[in-house]
Amino acid sequence: MIIKVRIGMVFYIMASVAFILGLLISNSIADDIDKETREISYLLMCPVCEGQTVAESNSQLAKQMRTIIREKLQEGKSKDEIIAYFVSRYGEAILGAPPAKGVNWILWTLPALSLLVGGLIIGLFLYKLKEDREKSKKESRKPPTQFEPEYIEKLNKELREFES
Amino acid sequence: MKGFDLFVKLVVFAAIVILLGLLGYAVFGNKVFSKSSPLIGHEAPEFTLELFSGDKLRLSDLRGKAVLLNFWASWCMPCRDEASALEASWKRYKDKPVVFVGIDVWDDKDGALAYIKQFGGGYMNGIDPKGEIAVDYGVGGVPETYFINTSGKIVDKYTGPLTEEMIDQFLGKALSSLPLSGLTKEGG
Repeated sequence: MIIKVRIGMVFYIMASVAFILGLLISNSIADDIDKETREISYLLMCPVCEGQTVAESNSQLAKQMRTIIREKLQEGKSKDEIIAYFVSRYGEAILGAPPAKGVNWILWTLPALSLLVGGLIIGLFLYKLKEDREKSKKESRKPPTQFEPEYIEKLNKELREFES
Repeated sequence: MKGFDLFVKLVVFAAIVILLGLLGYAVFGNKVFSKSSPLIGHEAPEFTLELFSGDKLRLSDLRGKAVLLNFWASWCMPCRDEASALEASWKRYKDKPVVFVGIDVWDDKDGALAYIKQFGGGYMNGIDPKGEIAVDYGVGGVPETYFINTSGKIVDKYTGPLTEEMIDQFLGKALSSLPLSGLTKEGG
């Protein structure tokens, strides 16, 4: 009788542990799916809203799209597969960021290129400014090599007056 | 310094023009969802539609016929504008290998039934409660109409209210794989 009770207790404890573990695992999977749904929703633009992603929009279509993303994740589809699915239905316009291919390369490289060109222009401008200042400084320090005859005459006149 | 100033001004001007051009492209270029569809030329996605009559309709059951697939909603004003054209065209094409299917999206059933009663729609109409069919077809607004040819491929998509002439034109293309004798329209 005691053995039966002990076996029963062991089963009870094992079942409880399994239940708690199952609960924890399912919660963790649900959390992962929630997180991935949000992540994918932020990468897709809502087709009926101006400038809002599927994650940000409260439109009915965006809500349905979020549900579809969640269902596809639950079916075991990967993030790339889900994004490819939406692109196959709505075209690349659905993507929040244009894919880095074709003409889109301009969009990806332009910020860095702008910084580079802008920096270069500012650098050249500052260099030229510095060069001009040094040039004008040097010129102002140089003793005059030639005076106008009228000034020489005036200077001589004043010197003579001073000496006398 | 003068030449350098001119060079800087030209570079800045060119940069502004390029940036504005790219901005314009980013805003208006590829962000137009409604004008085309990546599904054109591809197999129409399969669906099962719950009809208001209580029956169910599978797209694959319509193979061999051209399908006009119209997405609409009872609150949509442009849908009302095209309702009479759809109804009149459906009557004209009734005896042809053409099926008109209306799919009510982002709507409630009562509103949809009241709409059908008021604006007609003798052809098959059903509701897509979860928007799964709409998303599967890349619908970004209503009304939006897809034209499926007799081989089950999407040949055209049109966003906005249709007229009878437009329907004739699109259906002509969807039916183009059939012998000419099957294309004669009544009253057209």
